[in-house]
Amino acid sequence: MGARGGIWPAVYARMHWILLGLAALLPAVDLLLPPEFRLADLVRPIFIFAVLGMGLNIVTGFTGLLNLGVAAFMAIGAYTYAIATCDIYPFQLGFWTALPLTIAVGAAAGIILGLPTIRLKGDYLAIVTMGFGEMVQDSLKNLDVITKGTQGINPLPSPTLFGYVFKPETPLPWYYLFLALLAVVVLLTRNLERSRIGRTWASIREDELAATCMGINSMKAKLLAFAIGASFCSMAGGLWGAYLGSSGEPGNYDFQISIIALCIVIVGGMGSVSGVLLGAFVMIGFNAILLTKLTAFLAQHGWTSSDNVFTSPSNWKYMMFGLALILMMRFKPEGLLPSRRVKAELHEYDKDVPRQAGGATT
Amino acid sequence: MSLLRVDDLTLRFGGLTAVNKLSFEVTPGQIYAIIGPNGAGKTSAFNAITGVYVPACGCVRIRGREAKRPFTRRTLWGFLLVAALTAAGLVLAVNAEPLWEAAITMNYLYQQPFPWAKALQDGLTYLRDVEWKYSAGAAGFGALVGLAGAWSVWRRARCAPDVLAGAGVARTFQNSRLFHQMTVLDNVLVGMDTKLRTRFWHAAFRLPRHRRELRESSRKALEILRFAGLEKEATAVASSLSYGHQRRLEIARALAVEPVILLLDEPAAGMNPTEAAGLMELIRRIRGRGIAVLLIEHHMKVVMGVSDEIAVLEYGNKIAEGKPEAIKIDPKVRAAYLGTAEV
Amino acid sequence: MGSEDAEDQREGGRELMTDSEVLLQQVIIGLSNGMIIALIALGYTMVYGIVELINFAHGDLFMLGAFLALTIAGALGLDAVSEGALFSWGILPMFVAAPIFCGGVNWCVDRLAYRPLRNAPRLAPLVSAIGVSFVFLNIGLLWGGLPMEVFNMGQTAAAPKDFPALVSNENLLGESDITLTISQVLVFVITVPLMIGLSVLVRFTRLGKAMRAVAQNPVAARLMGIDVDRVIGATFIIGGALGGVASVVYALYNNTIYFQMGFRVGLDAFTAAVLGGIGNLPGAVLGGLVIGMIRALTDQYIATEWTNVMVFAVLILVLIFRPAGLLGTHAQEKV
Repeated sequence: MGARGGIWPAVYARMHWILLGLAALLPAVDLLLPPEFRLADLVRPIFIFAVLGMGLNIVTGFTGLLNLGVAAFMAIGAYTYAIATCDIYPFQLGFWTALPLTIAVGAAAGIILGLPTIRLKGDYLAIVTMGFGEMVQDSLKNLDVITKGTQGINPLPSPTLFGYVFKPETPLPWYYLFLALLAVVVLLTRNLERSRIGRTWASIREDELAATCMGINSMKAKLLAFAIGASFCSMAGGLWGAYLGSSGEPGNYDFQISIIALCIVIVGGMGSVSGVLLGAFVMIGFNAILLTKLTAFLAQHGWTSSDNVFTSPSNWKYMMFGLALILMMRFKPEGLLPSRRVKAELHEYDKDVPRQAGGATT
Repeated sequence: MSLLRVDDLTLRFGGLTAVNKLSFEVTPGQIYAIIGPNGAGKTSAFNAITGVYVPACGCVRIRGREAKRPFTRRTLWGFLLVAALTAAGLVLAVNAEPLWEAAITMNYLYQQPFPWAKALQDGLTYLRDVEWKYSAGAAGFGALVGLAGAWSVWRRARCAPDVLAGAGVARTFQNSRLFHQMTVLDNVLVGMDTKLRTRFWHAAFRLPRHRRELRESSRKALEILRFAGLEKEATAVASSLSYGHQRRLEIARALAVEPVILLLDEPAAGMNPTEAAGLMELIRRIRGRGIAVLLIEHHMKVVMGVSDEIAVLEYGNKIAEGKPEAIKIDPKVRAAYLGTAEV
Repeated sequence: MGSEDAEDQREGGRELMTDSEVLLQQVIIGLSNGMIIALIALGYTMVYGIVELINFAHGDLFMLGAFLALTIAGALGLDAVSEGALFSWGILPMFVAAPIFCGGVNWCVDRLAYRPLRNAPRLAPLVSAIGVSFVFLNIGLLWGGLPMEVFNMGQTAAAPKDFPALVSNENLLGESDITLTISQVLVFVITVPLMIGLSVLVRFTRLGKAMRAVAQNPVAARLMGIDVDRVIGATFIIGGALGGVASVVYALYNNTIYFQMGFRVGLDAFTAAVLGGIGNLPGAVLGGLVIGMIRALTDQYIATEWTNVMVFAVLILVLIFRPAGLLGTHAQEKV
């Protein structure tokens, strides 16, 4: 890709800033659209899920560990934020103190899960993280004295910034709040990616044994990735809580959320920051916006009925996610906006003699 | 004074003894070669020395010190900390709800300020009054599991490759294991990684210290590449290099670890005579930097040309050791290579 | 296994169950559930052993098998067995159809989704398997919406479905406080011979030898003239068929099926396979039994709502001390 001349490589390298810039301009488009299509209102979940995708991207895209428990960290974040801010508890912190707390708790949760399990082989780690997701969900449900069980914790107070109150009725300030926080996450991620730390992660992803033979303590590096990933996911959870004005109920943070996050990273491009942004736009745009709008539209015109599952588009959602994953893996495993390195790794064996399909040796 | 000393190193795969009581010594500045027919256990010995495989017994000493993660006071404190945290965590977990109720719910009357001191006191009172066997059991179990778990994780990592690399042992691999999709420069920078001081905060916020180190490390990496004759390829992607250059890059990457001894696993395999000659020259220059070299090689011209001392392995056993001239005429070595019938 | 022990207890006939009776009862329940979990876990572990792929879709395949069984029950108009009869003969077509269906679907999935990714990095087929699992999940949801009597005419697609009690739930021990039903006996009658059969197959037949060869070294196996793709395909068929049998046994034993059960039960089976050491057949059975027991004992002695948490806590605990599972050994990477 480097060989290609012109302006394209430079544009490509800054694609994430371009995407964020476009997002910043989006509310202007709203002025031209009829009021029922207020994009700024609809797009906010995309920002939150982009933060979630960033967290997973650090673990799965950069470091190559499959984490299927992203939803658990998001739940931890949402509940931490809710308990810290809600006035049924004595803590009642503001948004700007609760958010760092949420991030810190997320990182701690990542380390607690990571310490005993980070040495496990990839597939074992996948099941452990998946189990962690179930554990957290069940625990939140069961500890109802603390978490209010399936009711969720609400209402949460609106965030404030220098005396300005973010009210639920006005979506635009929220829009820029989330966009700004996402931009910070993107900046941090890019800085890490291009630093020594990102290089270490990439070396572990490519060849862990060779990396450890160069003196890299892979456990520490993976644990760091795990903690940072978890803290971003937790932050996404906190933002989600602020956005909903409620912690949501534990069942909202099920395996499906983890899969959506995985879809975001896979569709966008593993290890690619701009890819995650685009992936969040595509997946959440599809799931939370297009699908709900379509369902409502069809119901409005009487083309669906509640007792026929086949006609409601949201009943085909899992199929869409599933096919998205299968087809991406089959035809474009590097994603829509791939990272050059990951793309090359994924195609390394295309022309090669068939690698061993499995077994003890690779 | 020996630089690297291997004593009674034994490695078994199931019933097969790949390396049997191997002992040898490498002195500073020496080029020491291990040769032997295919399957003699040379690479296995390398892997056991560098911690890739866990040897059944034997020990590796660098400058007289055993190359293992040392058990220090800090390790002990770490274990105790983990044990204490697990115990505390388990006690809190099994009592979570009533504890919360006693400390928070009972004290919070929907008005501020909240009596924090009283809440803490009530919480502790609850823990004291609750059936103590219950909490003590949880704490005891937690401490035990924490201690055992920490020890078990630590023990498995005791002789890991990164410990050996930290002790000054760097290696290359028989089948090149470069980071193929990174640039040549980045490959070397990964080798230098343990020497870098950038921490998470510096990197995340691009603090000046990080930028300075970035410049310095790149300069140093370029120096290493120049030494290995690869400075022109610095920005190329590793997989695009020619085979000979890839092997050189592996050596450069290992040199970036700043080892006291460099283990080269068949560096000349598949090289043409010109490349092999260049490699011999490179190995000599490495020695010139004061780094000892432990070499596995089939290319006899290279082995006889550069080594100071040679050990011969057959079926995991060392059958001969000595200067190249002596090895050349050793009947046991000839027998191993050509079969006994010819002798 | 539990039946002889239970027989001894029969004489007692007390009003309230004693502590040991409670324990025995939980052991019976734990072992029955454990055997079903083990049967599903075998499907995970066989596929893993041979292609190093965690077949995430296996649990949902199992769910589809149960839906097929219910469809058959609906099509044949089967109803709960009459009093006195041990079981309805209607379960026979289920035990034939579900394994064939699941084996066939599993083979197709391998052919379409996994085989093209055989040479790709490990993450690719794994993600693909998660995708397949979601497709199956959706099929299960839609299947539940079919306009059939057993599915409530498709009115409540996502709701749990009642599975007719085709096997008698009568207590074989008569008046005893301990319950051992014919459906529990059925679990053992079906699963134990299957497991024995599987180990005979893997150990003694040509196919079994080919499977072990492919598991050890696919390239060498191919050079020795083994049709690797066919062996892998056969593994998928066998694994899927085991899941199909398990689905019918599960449905007959629990009498409720729902479209998310593939995730729930699959997660248990998957945990069992990992606990025992994934890729290791006896390990999967051991893991299944251990998990069945943990579940039953936690249900009884701690609290039902903490059962899942307990299972994973034990999993993490075991993996700290034995990172490759109870019976697993770490294959050393060849350098």
